[in-house]
Formats: sequence, C-alpha cells, structure tokens
Amino acid sequence: MQDDTRAADIMMGDVVRLEDVLSRDSVTSVAKSFYALFGLPVRVISHEGDLLADVHRERPLCNYVNTLSNGERECANTVGLVRDLEPAGETIVHPCFTGAVYRIVPLAYQGRPIGRLIVGPYVPAETQGPPASLTSIDEAADLPTVLDHFDQMPRVRVDIAEELCAHLRGVVELLVFSGHRAQLASTMQVASVRENYRELAEKNEALKSSYDELKQLDQLKSTFLATVSHELRTPLTSIIGYTEMLESGAAGALSDGQAEFLKTIRSKADQLLGLISSLLDLGRLEAESLDLHHEAVDPRALLSDVGSTIVPNANRRNVALDIQVADGTAKIWGDPVRLQQIVLNLADNALKFTREGGEVVLRAEPGEVDAAGPAGFGAALFTASRPAVVLTVQDTGMGIPEENLSRIFDAFYQIDAGTTRAHGGAGLGLSIVKQLVDGHDGTIEVTSALGEGTIFTVTLPAAEAHA
Amino acid sequence: MQVDFAAKELTLKLVYYGPALSGKTTNLRAIHWLGTSNACGELMTLETQNDRTLFFDMLPITVSSQSGLTIRLKLFTVPGQVMHNATRRLVLQAADGVAFIADSQRSEADANRESFLNLKQNLEETGIDSGRIPIIIQFNKRDMEDVRTDEELDALAKQSRETIYKAVATRGYGVMQTLRGLIRETWDKLEEEHQLENKFGISPVRFMNEIELKLRQNPGRRER
Repeated sequence: MQDDTRAADIMMGDVVRLEDVLSRDSVTSVAKSFYALFGLPVRVISHEGDLLADVHRERPLCNYVNTLSNGERECANTVGLVRDLEPAGETIVHPCFTGAVYRIVPLAYQGRPIGRLIVGPYVPAETQGPPASLTSIDEAADLPTVLDHFDQMPRVRVDIAEELCAHLRGVVELLVFSGHRAQLASTMQVASVRENYRELAEKNEALKSSYDELKQLDQLKSTFLATVSHELRTPLTSIIGYTEMLESGAAGALSDGQAEFLKTIRSKADQLLGLISSLLDLGRLEAESLDLHHEAVDPRALLSDVGSTIVPNANRRNVALDIQVADGTAKIWGDPVRLQQIVLNLADNALKFTREGGEVVLRAEPGEVDAAGPAGFGAALFTASRPAVVLTVQDTGMGIPEENLSRIFDAFYQIDAGTTRAHGGAGLGLSIVKQLVDGHDGTIEVTSALGEGTIFTVTLPAAEAHA
Repeated sequence: MQVDFAAKELTLKLVYYGPALSGKTTNLRAIHWLGTSNACGELMTLETQNDRTLFFDMLPITVSSQSGLTIRLKLFTVPGQVMHNATRRLVLQAADGVAFIADSQRSEADANRESFLNLKQNLEETGIDSGRIPIIIQFNKRDMEDVRTDEELDALAKQSRETIYKAVATRGYGVMQTLRGLIRETWDKLEEEHQLENKFGISPVRFMNEIELKLRQNPGRRER
C-alpha cells in the first residue's frame, strides 16, 4: 500500500531533485564537451546545493592572483559568492575583480527551480584591457605578468555567451526531462506489477475457496449416492425374492401369461439391482472405502469366466467372441471379484456397441508397467519397470469420437443421450472400471477409430512382482 | 487535489480515460500543440514501440492567477488496452476530474460502454465516488465514416448526466473546449467541497476567466 501511494505521489509531485534524475556522469560529459568546444568552465549545482559537475582548468591568471595575499582573499570572496548565488528566474552575470565574469543560469523543471549552471570565468570580448581592480590588487603584483595572463583568458561576446548558455541549459533540462521520465516509468513498472500481483492473489484466493466448496459438494454427492443406493437396495431385494418365490410356484401354479409377466418383473428388477449396485460401488470407490482382497488371479480363468457369462448374449446377437491368452502371461495381483467386474463391464460394453456379424476379442498378454511413472520421471532412481499383465477388450463397434475420449471415464457421461435410449445403462460402468483399475495400481487406456472399433487396454501388476 | 498553502499552490489531477485507440494521447498532443507555451509544459509520453501508451502520458499546465495562487493542472492519460487495468487504476488514484474520450464510430459503441463500466469499477476500487467525481464525455473522431450523427449525440446529450463534447483530436477541433469544460466542472465541484473562494479568494467565475485567458490558444497555431 505504501508503495502504491509512492507511485501516486511521484506522478502528482513535480518536485524533482536534480540529483535524483540526473546521473553525475552524463551531466559531467555534457559539461566536458561544452568545455572542449568553447573553452568555458562549467559547474552544475542542484537546488539543494550539491555540486553535480565541475569541469574547469585553473587559468594562469587565477593561479597568479592566488599567489598574492589580496588576490587570494578577493578570489575566495568571489568564488564563494558565485557558488551561493541563486538566480530567481533570470540569468545573473556576476563580475570578478579580474575583469572576468561568471554567468549563473537558473535550471527549472515544470515551473520549479531545480538548480543552476555556473559558466565562467571568461572575459567579455567587449572588455578593453584589465580593470583597475586587477592591476592594483596587490603591491607585490608584477604588471607585465598580470597583463600577459589577462590576455590568455577565454574571451566571449555577450550575445554568443547568452546563446551558448541557453543551449547548455536546454541540453541539461532535456536530460532532466528524460531522467524524470525514466524514473516515472520504473516506479510505475514496479507499482503496476505489484497491483497486478495483488489482483491475481485475490483471484487465486477466490478460486481456491470455490474449489474447496466444490470438493465438499462432491464429497456430499458421494455420501448421498452411497446412502440412497443402500436404502433402495433393501426393498428391491424383497421384490426379487418374492418374485422368485412366485415363479417357483410357492404361491400356487401360474398361468403362462402370469409366468411371462413375472419374468419381465424379474428381469427389470435385476436390471435395477445392477444399476443400484453400480451406484453403491461408485459411492464407495469415491469415498475410497472399497476393500480389495488381493490374490494371484489366473488371467485365462478370468477371461473364460467372463466369456461364459456373455457368450449367450453374443450368440443371440450373432457376434463372434474370441479369447486369447498369450504364452508366458503371469498371474494378476488383484481382487478376483473386482477383476471380473472390470473385464465383464468392458466386455458387456463392447458387445453392446458391436453390430451383428462383428467380433469381440478378450486378450491377455505379458507386459510391463513403468515403475517410474509415465514420463520416466526420476527413472534413474527406480527400477525401470515391473512385470504386468495387459488385458485388452477389442470390438468392431461404432467407435468413439476423439473429442469424447477424455471424458468417457467420467461418471454419468454418455457420448450422446441417444445411446442411452438405444443401449441402456446409466453411464456408470466405465467410471467404476477406471476407479477399480486405479485401486489396483493399474492403468486403463482407450484407442478408437470411428466405424472400425474400440480397444480398451488395462494394465495390471503381475502377481510375481508381489511374490 | 494537492494544496501547498505556504507556496499558495494548488495541483489538480485530470485524467483522460477511454477505450483503446479512442484518442486520449492525441488530445494531449493537440493541447500541447495548441496551448500557449508559457502555460503548457513538456508533454511526457511513456509509450511502447507501437505508439501505444504503456503507463500514461502527462502534460503539466501551470497557470499563475492574479490572486497570487498558482494552479498546476496535471493532465494524465491512461493506457486503453484491456490488459493494463492495474496501471489504469494506479493512474486514476486521487483524480479530481475525468474526461472520457469515446470513439464516435458506431462499431466502437461496445468498446465505449465497456471502458466506461471499467472506469466506474476502477473509481470505486480506488475509493473515488463515481457519482460525485466530475466526468465529461468527448465524442472524438467526428471526421470518420459511419459515426453517430450530431442529432444522435444531441439527443444523447439531453438525457446524459455528463456534459458531451464533440472533437476531432487529430486536427485539434474541440480539444480545448473539452479541457476547459473539464476544468470548469472540476473547479465547481472542488469549490462546493472545499470552499476555495474562502481559502484563496478566487471565485469560480474569476478562476475560469483566468483559465480562458491563460489557456487561450497560441495565436500562431490553429486547428489543422
């Protein structure tokens, strides 16, 4: 806050200090080139009295008068006076007892005095010979020497001197302007960065709190799902139980029509139970309360089991089902029930989206998982890879558009609502599969070509890695 | 407003606001060109390579009143590009009056509106009451094609709370009127809030007369 105020202060205040905006080096080089060009000594003094540049060489006349006691006193007087003179807007021409003069030129910036230039001593070109104040300065003075030194003094016409000083003043004031501009720019730069940072920090804070809120809502959703599914399942179990009893004739013989209706009730109740179980699973998975009982699972048995479950459906739809297990495929380290759920879910899906005459392949083969993570991060520090089992479920179905691939593992996501109507399902299957695979420290990937089919690849740790 | 009672000096900050490329810097350049050199100081521009304002432009104007009071007007422009909002807010700090430079072209109506809403928001965030600070609106670029017509602007002016000026800043038309209008409204508001007449013995009418006198156009220069 303090620095913000400073930026505003600097913008508003035009009280510029010469020493703050002018580098001594640059003003000295200007004075040096002025001296080199015109032979005129230059001093630059700030409003506060600091000497910022002093370019001069002692003249023989000045050196000589300083050897005389009266001369030395007078010289000190004059120099002291000149240094302290502050012109109030107009240039002051101050005479020296030697007949030379000093021009004291005011420097101003935005209407305020900021310092002065002292140009001289020089002798006005119009001067005829040395004044009496020089020739009679001291009894010990040697007149021919004085006259000789006087002639060596730089001489400038009054109008030229005025022009030169106006020019020098313009240059120095331009330097001040540029210096002030640079000073403002850097102050603004810092202030702007600070202000941007403040703004971003505020926004980040707001984002973080809304993220926390969303996370809480997500948690709430999971808990809600778990509770509701559980409450739904209890009465449904009774419905299924009593339907089975009726079907078995426990309440008397059934007509064909009654048996048919009961079959439908039973089938729909099973479907509903499946859906509720999925919801319950998802709820548990999201709450990370799923218990996995790891053991070594034979991939051949796993795929055969799944195959026998779906083969009637495949036959009915005239879809070929092929199971391939490559030689040397290790056992999988996982929970047999959950592994079956994973493969069955994928196989069911594959079947669902494959048209008559198509094919679904379930395959198991040896593979590796990169122990150091997908990008090989810090690979030197880890075992490069560990053995794994790769399960693939391949179909010749309609395929998944590429833009949807990244979302298919989201809960309740359906590529389009039409597929739900045509194929059923709540869009939970793949989400559950993904969570189960994650729970096994495995990975799942999908590749798909529209109209050609889809391949799901699940990589799971091999049992020997855990032996 | 900054007041230095000892030096009898009063500094006002006037800010030229508006959407990108609406002509804020061009207004200041025109004032600098047209104004008499003893009142207008050097125009300081802080711009990027593409002639776009990066931080601000600043034109100091000094008017010595006969009452002995020195009035310093500091004219600032803000960077119009959307990304420089933090800088706009910094420049807006402690502003006494705002000239909103709008682009008359119909296609720029949305940009004008957005920038004005941004002004309002930044004023509030800077702690300035947007309902109390004097704001005038200049419809610039009157020489372009497909601009809002004079009749439309006159109709707008009737229902507008802000005084409306028309200008072609590239040629200097209307910029001095806009500036004088802004100074007048700013001074009236400050008079109301700080009783400047009591403190400095200068009435609003006399003040404006002096401004008119000192800030009159340089006779050697005219609108191009």
